[in-house]
Amino acid sequence: MPLVFVFPSLHSIKGIKEMPKKVLLVDDSSTTLMMEEMILKQRTNYECVTAKDGLDAISRAVVESPDLVLMDVVMPRLNGFEACKRMRLEESLQDTPIILVTTRGEEEYVEAGFQSGCNDYITKPVDSFELVTLLQRYLGE
Amino acid sequence: MSNLSATEEQGRMQRIGDQAKVYAARMRLQGAMDQADALDGIREIAGNLIGTEEVAVFKVDKKRSELWLYWSFGVDPNKHAVLEVNREPKLKQALGGQAVFRLRLSNENLLSTDDPVNALVPIVVNGTALAVIVLFRLFPHKTRLEAVDREICDVMTHCGGRAVAPYYSH
Repeated sequence: MPLVFVFPSLHSIKGIKEMPKKVLLVDDSSTTLMMEEMILKQRTNYECVTAKDGLDAISRAVVESPDLVLMDVVMPRLNGFEACKRMRLEESLQDTPIILVTTRGEEEYVEAGFQSGCNDYITKPVDSFELVTLLQRYLGE
Repeated sequence: MSNLSATEEQGRMQRIGDQAKVYAARMRLQGAMDQADALDGIREIAGNLIGTEEVAVFKVDKKRSELWLYWSFGVDPNKHAVLEVNREPKLKQALGGQAVFRLRLSNENLLSTDDPVNALVPIVVNGTALAVIVLFRLFPHKTRLEAVDREICDVMTHCGGRAVAPYYSH
């Protein structure tokens, strides 16, 4: 019988922490970005990066390779639906969970979101418990 | 036992979320660069933290008998050009410096208008209400103003001065 060495993965070695998950927050409102960042920093160990509109979001996402994108819908230059569609064309972002933040929970609006390629949506004003639970679900925690 | 922990965790998270909203609102208004930025801050706070995209700011005249529409977002300015204090008792109350909120189960409107008004929030500068922020219709999925919304309104009362008094500093 051959001798097999089984190396433990880095994550399983006691004392070595997992790399924090990276979340890209996209909103043209600095107030919303501040609030979302505060909630996530207090209740999770996610690393947050931010973008202020759809175009900015695409370039940030390509560079940062986030584990998840949380994006507003109504934004200048490029709205969340269009940004979502364009992100899905990027090979590196095809499987990245994208959650849209909308002010409207109506069926047709939500449908438009799913057609743009988003995985889920959350309505404004954001509920902190709902936000953290949703992100944890997509980030496998 | 596990249910209790989940409830506790939910409550804890809710408190953190509420604190984050109030803090973000305060930082946004206190950090406003100029009058336009402060008004934009009020729009952001109303839409993103409270849950309404129908908001207007009315400035009180020197006699304190009328309030003139100063700025609005998502409402018809022609419908709400001027408010007379004598005809609007709730407005008079708001000019005293305390925000007035629509009661949870009440159908009574705060102003004599067809559009539902959910809150009258004074903007107080040096102890005097110079203007009133009117929050009209809430988002369809937002059924009422919560305690945290009242706290955010309190922030607008005390930190929103730059929106109507350009040289006001905190």
